[in-house]
Amino acid sequence: MKSHSLASPRTYVISWCALLALLLLTLGSAYLPLGSLNTAINLTISVTQAAIVLLFSMHLRSAHPTLRIVAGIGFFGIVILIALSLSDVLTR
Amino acid sequence: MSSISVAQHDNYLTADFRLWSWLITLDHKRIAVLYTVSITLLFFIGGAAAAMIRLDLLTPYSELVSIETYNKLFTMHGVIMVWFFLIPSIPTTLGNFLLPLMIGARDLAFPRLNLLSWYLYVIGALFAIESLIAGGVDTGWTFYTPFSTMFSNTHVFAAVTGVFIAGFSSILTGLNFIVTIHEMRAPGLTWFRLPLFIWAMYATSLILVLATPVLAMTLVLIAVEHFFHIGVFDPALGGDPLLFQHLFWFYSHPAVYIMIVPAMGVASEIIGCFARNRIFGYRFMAYAMLAIAGFGFVVWGHHMFVSGQSAYAGTVFSLLTFLVSVPSAIKVFNWTATLYKGHISFEAPMLYALGFLGLFTIGGLTGLFLASLGLDIQLHDTYFVVAHFHYIMVGGAVMAFFGGIHFWWPKATGRMYSDAWARLAAIITFVGFNLTFFPQFIVGYLGMPRRYPEYPPEFQIWNVLSSAGAVILALGYALPLFYLFWSLRNGPAAPSNPWKAKGLEWQTSSPPLPENFLRTPVVAEEPYSYSTGGSTDG
Amino acid sequence: MASTIAPIAPQFDDAVQQRDASNLGIWIFLATEILFFGVLFAAYAITRTQHAAAFAAGSRLTDLSLATVNTALLLTSSLTMALGVYAAQSGARRALVRWLSLTVILGVAFLVIKGFEYHADYVEHLVPAVDFSYPGAQAGEVELFFYLYFVITAIHGLHVFIGVVVISVIAVMASRNAFGPAYFTPVDLTGLYWHLVDIIWLFVYPMLYLVSRS
Repeated sequence: MKSHSLASPRTYVISWCALLALLLLTLGSAYLPLGSLNTAINLTISVTQAAIVLLFSMHLRSAHPTLRIVAGIGFFGIVILIALSLSDVLTR
Repeated sequence: MSSISVAQHDNYLTADFRLWSWLITLDHKRIAVLYTVSITLLFFIGGAAAAMIRLDLLTPYSELVSIETYNKLFTMHGVIMVWFFLIPSIPTTLGNFLLPLMIGARDLAFPRLNLLSWYLYVIGALFAIESLIAGGVDTGWTFYTPFSTMFSNTHVFAAVTGVFIAGFSSILTGLNFIVTIHEMRAPGLTWFRLPLFIWAMYATSLILVLATPVLAMTLVLIAVEHFFHIGVFDPALGGDPLLFQHLFWFYSHPAVYIMIVPAMGVASEIIGCFARNRIFGYRFMAYAMLAIAGFGFVVWGHHMFVSGQSAYAGTVFSLLTFLVSVPSAIKVFNWTATLYKGHISFEAPMLYALGFLGLFTIGGLTGLFLASLGLDIQLHDTYFVVAHFHYIMVGGAVMAFFGGIHFWWPKATGRMYSDAWARLAAIITFVGFNLTFFPQFIVGYLGMPRRYPEYPPEFQIWNVLSSAGAVILALGYALPLFYLFWSLRNGPAAPSNPWKAKGLEWQTSSPPLPENFLRTPVVAEEPYSYSTGGSTDG
Repeated sequence: MASTIAPIAPQFDDAVQQRDASNLGIWIFLATEILFFGVLFAAYAITRTQHAAAFAAGSRLTDLSLATVNTALLLTSSLTMALGVYAAQSGARRALVRWLSLTVILGVAFLVIKGFEYHADYVEHLVPAVDFSYPGAQAGEVELFFYLYFVITAIHGLHVFIGVVVISVIAVMASRNAFGPAYFTPVDLTGLYWHLVDIIWLFVYPMLYLVSRS
């Protein structure tokens, strides 16, 4: 499969700034009394940060589809494990 | 492609006779042989535990062994047979040997990882054997908490460590297979020209790499909890034993597909060859194995219907379990259709493959009974379950494994064995198997619980029949040791393609050269082109 | 700037096949790591669902400032690692060694701060099975929170440590001119591993430290 063409340093620095900004966002939002929404926000931000790292630092944006599928399956596996197990715990 | 004269070149066996060369080999074929020796040894250890179980169950009271020992026997039988025999069996022996050959490659993608896999398996097995010698484990192969973490004072830590290490052996094998199949196919060998055995190795490898890490971490958590007596699996501490079961079965259900999908691949190769027919519905057969691998990840809760899981989750898992049976059923129909109007011959490999077909079907159908919530309430933890999974794993997977060993033995060793003796062994195995396990369906339905050394006297007749069957089954398994080993010295030399089968592995010498092919083959025909002619010349 | 080409292993037909195989191999390995940590996330999710208040109480006892600094350090180390890979591809040997060394330093800093955190936890009697003590009825459940806290951060820390070791080795190899634009696969693969360790922490941080700060 075609090897990725690496991104420019500019891309990495911009990603880094975005990640730090999201870090401040997740930290700041934790101080707002939003109940169960806090967790949802934290999780969403984590997923966004992970996506930034995957797409840019880990070059998935320009990678062969097979590699993207492999990456996706890993996360999908966790989702299944947690979702179906929680479906038991939450409905007992 | 013309026959290759073996005399002109060293084959992979004769290239170097020193023991050291075997222990540091990077040749996938030699590693396959190393694995075959290792798992055979572990098979007989696990089998010895089974023999003692069946002997003890001849009488309603546990007169042969103490109850504590009985618990250790069924635990060690399960641990060894699942992790140290069935899961590695076909992939590490037949898979390692055949994968590069079938795709026209010189070796797997990562030969050093392959050798490391074998060493990890051996080290894991040593830990498991140590736990056995030190006194055994009594938790059941399922290590349910809090018994395994808080109360069992047997050698849980050693056993769990052994399985953990062997797990990495599995992961590396799966990783190696996936990369090899993606990257190293011969020119012209597109995905849908691959033999179904390769598709089976691929689907199995997907499960190996995705499920095994979950087991690994779960074992770490058990070990930590066992050691520190604090953890998330003990209700007395606020933990949840069902959390353990969810994590454990998330791996262990897909694990059963690790055990059966390779057998399906073997069956396709053998049935195609000895029915001299192309496999009916080739693409569906490939997709079905992928579907089994995928669906296999969302049904694990059917092991937990009566353990406290919510009724809603149980319903979802029950429905999904019914769905996962569909691709397997499609495969059974397609194998049958492959036989239809074929030119069938009954050499030993074919007998094993036909045995697989029938016994896997029975095992699979009884799985549907268990998938049904209402029925499972009665059948859970009875011998009905024991019979169900032995029909699939022994009647299915082990039969196919033996069939594969017999089918590719001439290729791997360069010798023909006595087909008469082999057919006898196959028939003895089939009879012995059914006599051992069919009575277990009956006695389980009548209510005999599993993992109990004692039972009501009215169940004795079924237990005696089962134990008698076990003796015959043991004979069936022992026979091949004799005639196969005998063939190594005295069997006639095997040609490149003794069965006139299709597939790249038959187009090189028996045994193959260390580098497999003199020239990389180019593939131009569809797989299993039996009835349409095409080359079968070795 | 010498461009070095690695020998092609005998099982491969050419350098492209070798590199593609390595790439696919590392990504499959990363997928296994994701599932490996997934178990911990699942254990956390289920236990927290069953003991929400205790997890909130436990989380408030963690050191948020140190953890936030650590997160920033790890994110920065990912940047330096990525810049290192870029340097390798450009054949800039000295820059490569510099960026890799910086990554190692940041990784070590993460571990040192973690060490301070663990020490503080020990002093405050928050280490389960050692001398855990918590005033209040939920002590057992708060102990469960800290059990997961230590298991998760320790296993993650182990992965950071392994990464630091590997990157150090790669840095030494780089200083000896082992890599160039034609061959920098080990740097690339190490970078991918390091980024994954970073991603895992990005989930661990809110999970353990931000449960109940409002």
